[in-house]
Amino acid sequence: MLSLLTMRVKALTAEYNQWQKRSPEIISTNPDVLVALGKEELQKVDHDLEMVLSTVQSKNKKLKEDVKREQQWLDEQQQLVDALDVTHEEMKNQVVQFSEKRALQEMKSKMLKIRAYKEELLSALGEFLEEHFPLPEEDESAKKKKKSPAEEPTVQLRLINRLMSTPHEPYLTINDSFWPPYVELLLRYGIALRHAEDPSRIRLEAFHQ
Amino acid sequence: MSLVRPFDKLPTLNSAAILLVGTDERRQQQLAEAILKEKKNFKINIHVATSLPLPAERDHVRPRIDLIAFMINMQSKHSLRNVEASLSHIDANFFLGKVCFLITGVGRMNHCSVEMNAVRKLGNLYCSPVLFCELDSEGIRVATAQRLLRMLQICAGHVPGVSALFFSSLMKSSIDE
Repeated sequence: MLSLLTMRVKALTAEYNQWQKRSPEIISTNPDVLVALGKEELQKVDHDLEMVLSTVQSKNKKLKEDVKREQQWLDEQQQLVDALDVTHEEMKNQVVQFSEKRALQEMKSKMLKIRAYKEELLSALGEFLEEHFPLPEEDESAKKKKKSPAEEPTVQLRLINRLMSTPHEPYLTINDSFWPPYVELLLRYGIALRHAEDPSRIRLEAFHQ
Repeated sequence: MSLVRPFDKLPTLNSAAILLVGTDERRQQQLAEAILKEKKNFKINIHVATSLPLPAERDHVRPRIDLIAFMINMQSKHSLRNVEASLSHIDANFFLGKVCFLITGVGRMNHCSVEMNAVRKLGNLYCSPVLFCELDSEGIRVATAQRLLRMLQICAGHVPGVSALFFSSLMKSSIDE
């Protein structure tokens, strides 16, 4: 490639020198001949230049149309980009805010929901127990810790509460406030278990598995 | 194996010779006929070859080659490779304007297996003009024949004031950088 270019340079300089050496020769001394020749030459040049002009003009027009079209396309794309940017900003803002508050709020709402559910469950359990395990009439002075007035429910609920609040101390000490037949019922059905060493302590057993 | 040299033979009076190199013989024939049909005031010899180097036996009969036109079909890589192989059998002096590349088959872009960049690079590398033509269409064939004829006139020196060296600078497309 380089060698080719150097060759071209040499050839072009040689030709250039040749052109420099030449001087225009006189074609003829007759002025009419010269005028006619000159006119013909000029007409030829004029014709060529007109062709060049028309070609260049049409090319120009085409280029202008191309430019206009491309400009339109560019504008549309720009509009698209702007609209997308706006949407992107909005979404980004939303995401940033939510990622902090949302998590916390979600946790809180979940906790609330679970607590409400737990209350619901406990109250339902209390009602159920109230219905099916009525208090023996003589024991009315029993301490009522929960909303349920029944004795059996108290045991159950106390057991459950014990389990929930002190997982490392799930035992309830049986005292006389608990009606023995209910306690026996619980024990017989495996809902509660006696403590291994101390028969007066029972705990809740996972009987649902 | 003979190297084609541009100036090793004396030119014959009022005549010029063009060499068409390409793999598609049918197209070469069509183009040759179109060139011959054109109105001209000098004798033309059209030589057709599929690849260089030219056989050495006919070297003394052959006149001086003034213009070599390489025909490349964009739809076959084989033609490009053939042309690239033949380029090494030409004397370097030819590339001062007596070589041009004719590219056909650009019309159907999805059938092109030769890349445009490769062809443009070839033209740049050898400082030779690259002409795009669809030789299947009659009008373009006639136009290409006219162009080639004009180039041949200039290469053979029939046109005073213009030399073949001008081709590479004057025939650059406006799209090229």
